[in-house]
Amino acid sequence: MSNHVTEWLNAYYDGELKGKRLQQVEEHLAACEACQAELESLQGLSALLQEVPAPEFPSPERFATQVNLFLPQKRTTTPGTQLFEVGWWMIPVGLLAVWVFISTAALLGDAMSAAKNFGILDSTTASFISAPSETVEVTSTLGQFGMLHGNSLQWAETTESFTRGLFPQIILQVAVALLYVTWFAVWWARHTRQMNGPLLES
Amino acid sequence: MAVVLEVSETALVRSAQHGDRNAFSELVHIHARGVFNVAYRMCGDELIAEDAAQETFIRAWQNLSSYRPQTPLRNWLYRIAFNAGMDMLRKEKRILPNDIEDLNLNDGQPSLESQVSQQERTQLVQKAILSLPDASRAVLILREYEELSYQDISATLDIPIGTVMSRLNYARKLLKDKLEPKLLQVEAEYV
Repeated sequence: MSNHVTEWLNAYYDGELKGKRLQQVEEHLAACEACQAELESLQGLSALLQEVPAPEFPSPERFATQVNLFLPQKRTTTPGTQLFEVGWWMIPVGLLAVWVFISTAALLGDAMSAAKNFGILDSTTASFISAPSETVEVTSTLGQFGMLHGNSLQWAETTESFTRGLFPQIILQVAVALLYVTWFAVWWARHTRQMNGPLLES
Repeated sequence: MAVVLEVSETALVRSAQHGDRNAFSELVHIHARGVFNVAYRMCGDELIAEDAAQETFIRAWQNLSSYRPQTPLRNWLYRIAFNAGMDMLRKEKRILPNDIEDLNLNDGQPSLESQVSQQERTQLVQKAILSLPDASRAVLILREYEELSYQDISATLDIPIGTVMSRLNYARKLLKDKLEPKLLQVEAEYV
């Protein structure tokens, strides 16, 4: 008999199989003596393990009283630690909010400058917006060599100016996001260690 | 009945989380035996197990605010108990057997053969369990003695179900390999 179901026998014995897999194992077991013997040996092992008794436990009442005596007097956190916990959350969240505001404003400024250059905004609106501070060196150079003309030159200048403003923004955003994720990972590791201690090693 | 227990346990946990020591004592009362058994199976010594059980509840009290009711309290306590048991063993510098070879089967004078045989079988099995790797032993204990489902074992030890299955298969195979020849030897000596 080929295709033994040995790897599924433990789960079958523990009643953890369902559906097609259960049917497959049952059908195989009905026809395979080797797997039947393996299943019997699992049953035998379980019976053997049950022969090891757990010792008598002292009365739960006495134990509970004993534990109560050893409990630290104050489990609740002190105002200092509470403040620390709040700060742990609020300071980075506040910084993040400020950063989001600044970068959104900068991004909007860039977008409006670009719109102005394309002539989408009228002069009144445009006067509220400062011109892009970045120089458009690459595009100008290309223009001087006659590689860009008219509308395409203007479009390229605007795009370069916009990209120059955007690129440092993206770098900054990624850096801040990484910083935030690191902060969160440290907090989570600290929190988990406090709760359970390390997991059992394999 | 189970629903009533669950509801009252949730209420007890909530009170304990607000610092009610009596509510926590009730929880200790409910789970003490299970936690003690798990610790005993993990370290094989009654006194160490009692200390580990005590330590489990102290840690639970200190970290109760981080407990989330989505996980059964029993599972959360068992996980702390495993770690407390292993910490206690390290603290006591107790070395668990790597193998069962060094168990002398002729210890003692067998006046009642069957009784001695039974005692030796128990010793052998206990020693074989303790010789398992910690992670496999934990899964075996939760399945064989606490009768937890694979899903609950997975949640308790925070490992995938596939890992539960492979560790359980490994533990049982190792036990069979270790015990079968020895048990045949014990039985042959008293025939």
